[in-house]
Amino acid sequence: MRPIRVAGLLGAAALAAACNSDGFLTGGELSHDPNRPTEATSAQLLVGIQANLWATLQSDPARITGMWAQQLLGANNQYVAIYNYGVSEQITNGFHAGLYTGGGLVDLRRLEAQTSAAHDSVFHGIALVTEALLMGTAADLFGDLTYSHALTGEQNPPLDPQLAVYDSVQSILSRAIVELGGTGPTNAGPASSDFAYGGDPAAWTRLAHTLKARFLMHTAEVRPAVYADVSSEAAKGIVDASQNFNAVFSGNASEQNFWYQFDVVQRAGYLAPNPQFVELLRTRADPRLGTYFNADQSDLNAALVSAGGTQPLVTANDNLLRWAEANQRTGKDAAARTRLNQARALAGLPPESDTLAGENLLAEILIEAYIADFMSIEAWNLYKRTCTPNLASVVAGVKIPARFPYDASERNTNINIPPLSQQPARNANDPPNSTSDATGAACLGQ
Amino acid sequence: MSGTEFLRRGTLALVALFTLPISLVAQSATVTGRVRSETGSALAGVTVSIAGLGVGSVSGTDGLYSFTVPATRVNGQAVALQARRVGLAPQNVSILLAAGTITHDFVMSATALQLDQVIVVGAGISQVRERVGSVINTVDSTAVQRATQPQNLLSALSATAANVRVNTQSGEPGASAFVIIRGATSVTGTNQPLIVVDNQPIDNTTVSTNGGDGSTVTQNRAADINPNDVESIQVLKGAAASAIYGARAANGVILITTKHGANGPTRYSITSTQSFDDVLKTAPLQQQYGQGSNGHAGACATADCNATSLSWGPLLAEGTPVFAHGDEIYHTGLTSDNHVNVSGGSPRTSFFLSGGLTDQLGVMRGGNNRYDRSTVRLSASHQLLNTLTFGGNFSFIDAAGAYVQKGSNISGLLLGALRTPPEFNNQPYLDPISGLQRSYRFPHPTSASLTSPRGYDNPFFVLASNGNRSELGRFVGNLTANWVPTSWLSLNETFGADDYNDSRVEALPFTSSGDPVGDVTRYQITNLEIDHNLTATLSHAFTSNVDARLVLGQNLNSRRNRQVYVFGEGLIAPEPLALQNTVSFTPNETRSLRHISAYFGQAELDLHDQLHVTAGVRDDGFSTFGASDRTALYPKVDASWTFTNLFHPDGQPRFGWLSRGRLRAAYGETGREPPVYATITALSTNGLFGSGFGDIIGAKQNGQGGVISGLNLGNADLKPERDREAEFGTDLGFFGQRSDLGLTYYSKRSVDVILPVPVNAAATGASTALANGATITNKGVEAEFNLRPYTSSRVDVSLGANYARNIGRVESLLQGVQFISYNTEGFVGSGGSSTVGFAPGVIRGLDFVRCGLGERVTLPGVGTLANVDSACGAGAAKGALYISGTNNRPVVNPDERVIADPNPRWTSGLTGQVRVGPLQFSTLFDIRHGGQVWDGTRSALDRFGTAAETRVRSEQGIFGQNVLAGDKVAGPGARKVAFSSLADWQDWYTTDGGSAGDAQAQFVEDGSFVKWRELSILYTLDQRWVQSRFGLSSATVRVAGRNLHTWTKYKGLDPETNVGGAEFLTQGFDFFQNPQTRSFVVAVTLNR
Repeated sequence: MRPIRVAGLLGAAALAAACNSDGFLTGGELSHDPNRPTEATSAQLLVGIQANLWATLQSDPARITGMWAQQLLGANNQYVAIYNYGVSEQITNGFHAGLYTGGGLVDLRRLEAQTSAAHDSVFHGIALVTEALLMGTAADLFGDLTYSHALTGEQNPPLDPQLAVYDSVQSILSRAIVELGGTGPTNAGPASSDFAYGGDPAAWTRLAHTLKARFLMHTAEVRPAVYADVSSEAAKGIVDASQNFNAVFSGNASEQNFWYQFDVVQRAGYLAPNPQFVELLRTRADPRLGTYFNADQSDLNAALVSAGGTQPLVTANDNLLRWAEANQRTGKDAAARTRLNQARALAGLPPESDTLAGENLLAEILIEAYIADFMSIEAWNLYKRTCTPNLASVVAGVKIPARFPYDASERNTNINIPPLSQQPARNANDPPNSTSDATGAACLGQ
Repeated sequence: MSGTEFLRRGTLALVALFTLPISLVAQSATVTGRVRSETGSALAGVTVSIAGLGVGSVSGTDGLYSFTVPATRVNGQAVALQARRVGLAPQNVSILLAAGTITHDFVMSATALQLDQVIVVGAGISQVRERVGSVINTVDSTAVQRATQPQNLLSALSATAANVRVNTQSGEPGASAFVIIRGATSVTGTNQPLIVVDNQPIDNTTVSTNGGDGSTVTQNRAADINPNDVESIQVLKGAAASAIYGARAANGVILITTKHGANGPTRYSITSTQSFDDVLKTAPLQQQYGQGSNGHAGACATADCNATSLSWGPLLAEGTPVFAHGDEIYHTGLTSDNHVNVSGGSPRTSFFLSGGLTDQLGVMRGGNNRYDRSTVRLSASHQLLNTLTFGGNFSFIDAAGAYVQKGSNISGLLLGALRTPPEFNNQPYLDPISGLQRSYRFPHPTSASLTSPRGYDNPFFVLASNGNRSELGRFVGNLTANWVPTSWLSLNETFGADDYNDSRVEALPFTSSGDPVGDVTRYQITNLEIDHNLTATLSHAFTSNVDARLVLGQNLNSRRNRQVYVFGEGLIAPEPLALQNTVSFTPNETRSLRHISAYFGQAELDLHDQLHVTAGVRDDGFSTFGASDRTALYPKVDASWTFTNLFHPDGQPRFGWLSRGRLRAAYGETGREPPVYATITALSTNGLFGSGFGDIIGAKQNGQGGVISGLNLGNADLKPERDREAEFGTDLGFFGQRSDLGLTYYSKRSVDVILPVPVNAAATGASTALANGATITNKGVEAEFNLRPYTSSRVDVSLGANYARNIGRVESLLQGVQFISYNTEGFVGSGGSSTVGFAPGVIRGLDFVRCGLGERVTLPGVGTLANVDSACGAGAAKGALYISGTNNRPVVNPDERVIADPNPRWTSGLTGQVRVGPLQFSTLFDIRHGGQVWDGTRSALDRFGTAAETRVRSEQGIFGQNVLAGDKVAGPGARKVAFSSLADWQDWYTTDGGSAGDAQAQFVEDGSFVKWRELSILYTLDQRWVQSRFGLSSATVRVAGRNLHTWTKYKGLDPETNVGGAEFLTQGFDFFQNPQTRSFVVAVTLNR
């Protein structure tokens, strides 16, 4: 018996195992998280992207801007403070970072790369339009944003000036329109995972033009020459309610309309109709008084806020009225009246008299747009740009907020974002109005 | 030698063993004898062996040992016969090995200096304590069985060793025990030590079903071990001691050695223990004022009406029946422990078979407060060849429990019970007509109220629910092989598996306030850990004065965890409380797999039997380390110098009182692996979008699954956390065996501590990443002292004391980050955190404005950012409450700070044992000095007006006198009347003065205590008549009291408990959890 040899053999076996140890530490469930996917189909990405987009356009940002545009009133708890311009980093915490995190830009870029690799130019175009809507709206809310340096991983990424973000949005939309026109055999598109349009390239092209018009218009205060382009883009945009870009909710758990969840389930009583807005609708005998609000105007209309209620995000009225405004501002009153009446018809209103012209026509278009954009961030954007209606501040001596603060989490991780006290009150596209575009009177709230 | 030949030889040896025993004996030498203690009693479990020949055996319960040396090795030579047992001083004698029977009896010292004890030092290696340069505490089996909560092995470590702090969640059956050794060193982990049983690591996680602050108690999984199977426990405290366990050892290691069989006749032992348990103290409640508000009655009498939650009503009329809501929910619990051991063996084969049944019925009424555990265990070994021994340990655990909803939970027991107004009778808890739950806030339920909340649940309804149950099946087993091919080499293999399946259900029936529509949670956890540990030990004596030993080892380990959690909401029918009876489901499945591949080596050098030096290193490869460096090295070195041997090498004490003395020093490093899969960036299928107001949608919409990028960025560079620890100490023996003292100082620096780091979303597309960033230090001293003032064959007296102090400090988190909340409990106004400058796990919150701290705070009537100290006025005591002149009340300071540090300043344990003939008395005191507790229970009961201290409401209220009476006061309103009516008192207690107030620091109390843990009297019957009349070798009867008394200034139920379990880093939260229990114990043991 040679025990030493056996010991040697065992030692050799142990050493052999040692050499192979990397194989023991990697592979399979050791190196891959079995609980989380690392790959997703383009359709699955689009579903998450849409959910994030709907939240950005319809949750707190739409409710808060609705209060600041005085269509709604903060009646309870934190919403009283926000209504009274208690602007803090908490009010948007999450929505700024959410532009970039899961469902936001990071996944849009992933989707764009995947659809591009698959030579699915229609799907690629849809991703680009979605990116433009998300980032254009973000520019509306926050102003300067990290965009050209976004997702590069660099420390303290610089912010692009707000107008540069809008310019990027225009170029993305131009690219999108080209992509959507693609006719190759690989253009499968998102089909049913596109809840708004079912992957219809024509519908997305209309949306792209509508958004071009919208975000061009947001620069009109500092670039008055854009009105002509707004007209031409709006003309190719959404002009019928059947073409609206909508959020679609099944009504099942975690798939419910945001307004329903907030106003009916979670925070009943926080929001109320703003008397200013109720009075505006009542004096104009606008039938939307009854569609927007309940019978005694104490709350939102239950029919408007249901669990499975479809929520319009970009509408024909919005586009037609912007088109009308651009026409009017470029001296085409007749064309402007036609668009206005088209929009009024969609709202169930009779046409305006042919004598309506000039400043009166503009005032009517703007007020009509303000009413039509109820529950959309666009009502506040319109007010910021035109001081229409001529709202008075609800807090003496304090101006109506004209931008959202950046998230604290983003500020803390990027030295290019100044503390809240040093952030601008208004954005570059939006100097304070001295008069209201609709009345010519001094602008009260800016 | 080929494998076939190896096998053939093995088979031959087997055949020889079973067919030719007589011939074997006839040609060989048989070594036999008896092992006794100094007092003459038989000692079992002593390994008697001839090291150079690799032969030996273990003594039986009668102390007898016997083994045979094969004839080929018997040639009349002198060999060293060695007797060793963990916990005893080893003995060596020289015998002449000749054919025939050689008899040698050993008398082993059971009360020897701790220095001479053989201890297990990890990875299957044992060593004499004197040769180890770091502190390793030993807890023997009798201490475990006498402990306060002997059913949970880790609770049993309470007060037994310095700086081994044990916090048991509550006195409920199945409650977890939180063990912290020499302070917390991590901010993300729970800092629980590694548990190793018979050289095999086992799982000791604590996972509550639905959040540890509410839900029910849960076990820490090491509580599955049957304490009666435990022979001894060693606690490796410092990094040098535990470095051999590398990246699993940052929190220390608890090594558990189980009982084994021994050569000799088959022995039987039966132990039956009955324990009667009750609560030591119930919550102090007022009995004078009824339900209502501002002195007006607030009960309601109509169907399905809602009554006020407050007891700020009128003074109850004389003769109004009142109820003791803190007492009526309890009764006497009964714990029944029954164990049988059978052990025995032949010279080559031994076995130990045990069975245990532990049935615990807790102190809460209703029968749904129990934890029952059955265990069976077989340990056996067989010496196949003279050089080769195979063995195995197999245990199976079957446990089942029923629990009561607790804590921060409106369907919890004490929350509803203690808030009930004194005059409201919680019985019957079901309305006689509708048969539905009635509660003080919802006293008249009709059948229409099946899904209406009750405000808070009626405690008897909570007790009657059988919806919270768990079932566990667990197998822990290993196979061992020991091969000693030559006198200088031995190989040891342990291959073990720990496999369990924990199946739970937690349900709220219809009408539960926590979820009136009812819900059912099913939670299934399966865990499998497989461990292979191979060591080769090479020994060599270079000269008679220089011995060396080299241990080389390999460890492979695999941990596989599977969890399936399904939450079913909305019951369909009232019963059964099962998933298929619910309307909608939310499933969540978690799987993980982790591998370890490690190599270790340790060299020991022994010079002149005086200086012992050990150096070692472990090279750890973990699948959880970042890909950039998948291995980490953990070195250690320690030295021990028995300086007294320098002066009297013959071992005889030469000068007076100092009979033995050594100095020791050690340095080591250990680590903690990153969380599993933290290195991986992945997508998520459960994204949520919306605001903080609850309007949330999922990434799944319209029936289609959505996938998004995860919010946490993987960090491929994540390294293990690393503890670097140096310790120095001395062990001194005085007056021979009479007294010994151990002193230790240690300093531990934990670097690369993992914490969640916020990342810029715009740059990365994520919100957080884990990173190695924080630094934590822990420094402390430990002292252990034993005194045996009198020892004779009839009387023994021994006293022991330990003292420990640990100062922990978070040195830095990230740049600019002062605190983080992670893996902590928290309430509004009192949240767990790790804060720079404090020990990990402190509580943050707000306090009132106080004088003498140089603060500037907005003070009503004084101005914004007023200088507090000048507002307090000259002569104000430092820390005095500033009392405002506007309302004669204190003012809340809006600046958050650390309000409580639950870590004690020092801890101590005192033991005493006296044996007089067959009678043995023993006692244990557990002392904790410092360590703050946030009494959230009192905070809430003050608000609701049921706390005893709210009785003052008929008086005038003056701060510092009958409100916040412990505080000094200053400022313009000091000593002025603040409250002159019941409404004023209510206004205070329902706002700033209670749980609705921001300043929760007012409810932080000193949690110091002295607990009289145990007093027991043991009577042993081993007279001749016991044997002749009953056929027993001995019998013992033990009568004991546990947790007999607590001395504390703490106002709440118990400063020792915590609402969350061992899964949390922070402790010190008192929020409607149950107290520890007091027990009266009778135990009878019969040995045959």
